[in-house]
Amino acid sequence: MSSLPCEYGDLVRELHARAAARRQPVNGTFELTARCNLACRMCYISQSGGDATVRAEELTAAAWLTLARAAVDEGMLFLLLTGGEVLLRPDFFEIYTPLTRMGLLLTLFSNGTLVSEALAQRLAEAPPSRTEITLYGATTATYEAITGVAGSYARCCAGIEALVRRRVPLGLKTTVTRQNVGELDAMRQMARNWGVPFSGGWLLSQRRDGACSEVEHCRLSPSACVALEATDQISARGWTETARHAVAPAHDRNFHCQAGAASFVINPRGEMNVCMDLPLPAARPLEVGFRAAWEQTQRYVDTAPPLADACRNCGARVYCPRCPAWSLLETHTLNEPVPYLCEVAWARKEQHGQPT
Amino acid sequence: MKRSEKFMLQNVGGVALLTPLGAQVMEMNGLVILNDTACCVWELLAEERTLDELTAIVVERFAVEPVRARADVQTFLDEIAPLGMVDG
Repeated sequence: MSSLPCEYGDLVRELHARAAARRQPVNGTFELTARCNLACRMCYISQSGGDATVRAEELTAAAWLTLARAAVDEGMLFLLLTGGEVLLRPDFFEIYTPLTRMGLLLTLFSNGTLVSEALAQRLAEAPPSRTEITLYGATTATYEAITGVAGSYARCCAGIEALVRRRVPLGLKTTVTRQNVGELDAMRQMARNWGVPFSGGWLLSQRRDGACSEVEHCRLSPSACVALEATDQISARGWTETARHAVAPAHDRNFHCQAGAASFVINPRGEMNVCMDLPLPAARPLEVGFRAAWEQTQRYVDTAPPLADACRNCGARVYCPRCPAWSLLETHTLNEPVPYLCEVAWARKEQHGQPT
Repeated sequence: MKRSEKFMLQNVGGVALLTPLGAQVMEMNGLVILNDTACCVWELLAEERTLDELTAIVVERFAVEPVRARADVQTFLDEIAPLGMVDG
């Protein structure tokens, strides 16, 4: 019926590109809470689940729905609900259920530990397009050494099984750290046994509030990151292609993703930002209106400083995952090189070869 | 026939598409892209319509031959019917 791509992932990317060309805010993230019932050592966001002060600042369910309706009016189609742990909110379904009637493609991120049989049943009655649960290990010892909560591994597995039994669209993912990298294959096998897709990420950033985390003790070394990528066929093929075709990008744009072009994030206090890792410009859609907040977010991206010279002239630039959010978290600027990512980029270049 | 109320028409970057609502995600988890003719037919199906009625309106709006219009409408209906997108 059209010349658009048939494969779903390619189609979604094409829709995002077309939305970005029109500055349509097609992709939203609602961070319903920063609180979490786990205490992962490397987490970049989590606040204590029982923190009454943090909880008091969170938007009400009614406010989230007001924002959702306004965003839909401006063209939002994809909406991610994330936290913290979204299921900590006792009013979660007051937010979620009306969203399922708005024509959105919903994604839900959770750690799975609060998914009871009853909650899984309720989700199955109007499921998100995708639910993603993070698995932190394949054994109780490893999982709970990361999450810091006794009993959380069994609860996570029970939650996953409850969702699988009810055919709620589900994917598992992991945050790979030095502590659980040895169980990566076992986690992949768990996902296979449950019949769900599995993915992993291993580039761990600092906390966005500047507070101390144990990320330095959890991050894989740059060479370990690249070695891990080389064992993943899709990733390795992608980098080989990059190496084959690599030429310096023609532009010096600092924001090269859809942030502020087609996507936005609203944090638990109701502030609109360019992404979860970059809590700016902190526009206030409930006060100034959604459209004005979205325009402010676009302006923030459009007026960002260009790449630093060191990055523009870098021989490993095409392999580099740096973005303004990483620069802000690690260097307190929007464009300076991030030493850890520089090492990752050069290790990738060494692994995948010099382009010809 | 009439369109199902379990789907919603959306527009992303000038592309018309249908998304499932509520429990319908269990039956069809994804989206359906519509070309101009399909979008027109979908909007017409807000009311009860026959194939002849749909064809006549498509002929008028898109200046195509009746045979071609009827075939296009039928193809679209054949594609969306198994997805539960039309009633009757």
